[in-house]
Amino acid sequence: MTDPGGGAPSPDAYPVALRRRVGALGWWRSRTVRRCAFGYALLAPAVLYVALLVGVPFLFSLYLAVSNATVGDPVAEFVGLANFRAALESTTFYVALRNTVVFTVGAGVLKALLGTGLAFLLAQPFVGRRLVRGLVVIPFTLPIAISVLGWKWMFDSQFSVINWALSRLGLTGPYGSPDWPVWLGEPYLALLSVMFVNVWRGFPFSAIVLLAGLTSVPPEVIDSARVDGAGFFQRFRRIIVPMIAPILFIGTAFDTVFTLSDLSIVYLLTNGGPDGATEILPTLAYNTGIRAGALGRGAAISLFLFPLLAPAMVLLLRTLRRRQW
Amino acid sequence: MPFVVIAVFPVFWMAVTAVKQEPDLYRMDVVPFWFHLPPTWKNFDLLFTRTSYRDWIVNTLEVALWVSAITLLAAVPAGYALARLRLPFAENLGIGIFMTYLVPAIILFIPLARVVSLLGLQDRWWSLVVIYPTFTIPFCTWLLMGFFKTVPFEIEEAAMVDGCGQFGALVRVVLPVSVPGLVTAVIFSFTLSMQDFLYSLAFISVSDQKPVPLGVATELIRGDVFFWGSLMAGALLVGVPVAIVYNLFLDRFIAGITGAAVR
Repeated sequence: MTDPGGGAPSPDAYPVALRRRVGALGWWRSRTVRRCAFGYALLAPAVLYVALLVGVPFLFSLYLAVSNATVGDPVAEFVGLANFRAALESTTFYVALRNTVVFTVGAGVLKALLGTGLAFLLAQPFVGRRLVRGLVVIPFTLPIAISVLGWKWMFDSQFSVINWALSRLGLTGPYGSPDWPVWLGEPYLALLSVMFVNVWRGFPFSAIVLLAGLTSVPPEVIDSARVDGAGFFQRFRRIIVPMIAPILFIGTAFDTVFTLSDLSIVYLLTNGGPDGATEILPTLAYNTGIRAGALGRGAAISLFLFPLLAPAMVLLLRTLRRRQW
Repeated sequence: MPFVVIAVFPVFWMAVTAVKQEPDLYRMDVVPFWFHLPPTWKNFDLLFTRTSYRDWIVNTLEVALWVSAITLLAAVPAGYALARLRLPFAENLGIGIFMTYLVPAIILFIPLARVVSLLGLQDRWWSLVVIYPTFTIPFCTWLLMGFFKTVPFEIEEAAMVDGCGQFGALVRVVLPVSVPGLVTAVIFSFTLSMQDFLYSLAFISVSDQKPVPLGVATELIRGDVFFWGSLMAGALLVGVPVAIVYNLFLDRFIAGITGAAVR
């Protein structure tokens, strides 16, 4: 085994006590310095990889956003804020921005509500709980693109199984009638459908994160609150929520980031249609930057996501820094 | 229980669709939840004979394999260093690495498109091998860091007393007892790679280089013609195993994320 201390003789050669004495000779030999050098050497591959392929591209996207780079033409000129201005002047952008916010907030609230409900249900002991848990998390564990394809078929304009059920129940008219919902073909319905799929995929995650929090609260605390006369909602709001707040923050941050940046649901279900009704910033950035090849424009659009992401990331950062190591 | 129905129904419906005969899919006059013509394997056949599905599976596996290897090589030493060596700035570095997991693909994919073309990897699955570790390394470093913290110091000390260097102690003693952690890291490299859609969509447009999710989503829809049966068959054939494995390791995933808050 070679020693990482750079040319130092193999430690195998010395008994421990002797090694210590030798180590006291020079600063390089001091254990702390060697340990640190060794540590940073071990960290280097991961840090470099991430710096080169996340850090550098991120800075590069800032540069692209102020250039007129295109896919075909590698030579780019500085164009200042023209890309941002162009984005702000197009109506599509505003629609996409509005949809992104509605989508993220609306779906987020629904996921939180459903997730909370499910978490409390799963916190009760009952027969077959493991099985139920395994089944309800399926939406989250299926690769997203794959489950979205299933939904696309379920939302089919003519052979939708949902419509079959609804019309049999008498809630909607038969095929061809005006109250036959064309899920992905009508503006509001399409936005709703897209949100629904996001909620379907995300609520198990909220539930499981919350459940992990709930099980970390010692039951004695809850019991003593109950003895003191705290009702269910009071216990939830005053005791459980503050105690598991860090977990909630992290869960929320993750979910927000994933929701904001996910393009596959909209791309595969509607590709922004009908008529831009479900266009969100990610799809707009993809269609502008890659499809149409205007890298600079696309980069500028995707950077508009950053202010939306920032709160989630700050929240996460603060939570992480406050914990003890 | 409505939760279970909502969660499972789409999968059930996909499975039924995958083995239904074509005419049976388009009958709205009968209860669609079951078969009115005998089930068939024709959709799977079509997948393997008329599309590059076999290539997609091979690509997916190869990508996942390489990504796992790269991830382990980078994340194991990093996780160990952060957990054990009491480095100055370890905390900030650790948080920094973890935060990069949250820099979303949607901000990075455009500059990365340039990187991919600089490397000459457009339209090749190798581009994904290069890109996927950008999210698997941060996550697995974090995961392994938590794991290494649970390995008792004493066994390491004992190894060093017995004449191993710090590195020797890591390789000979710490890694063997950390096999469950390493397996978890590999599993997540696999499953997180499978969850991606954006990168493969942006970087690969040649049929025989696609991974399964992209291939199924783009090649089985021709204009307005949907091959629903084969689409569902191809999606489930890969989706179900991934979901099962992910399911088994879900607690580790959540612990990896939330452990950050409670540990």
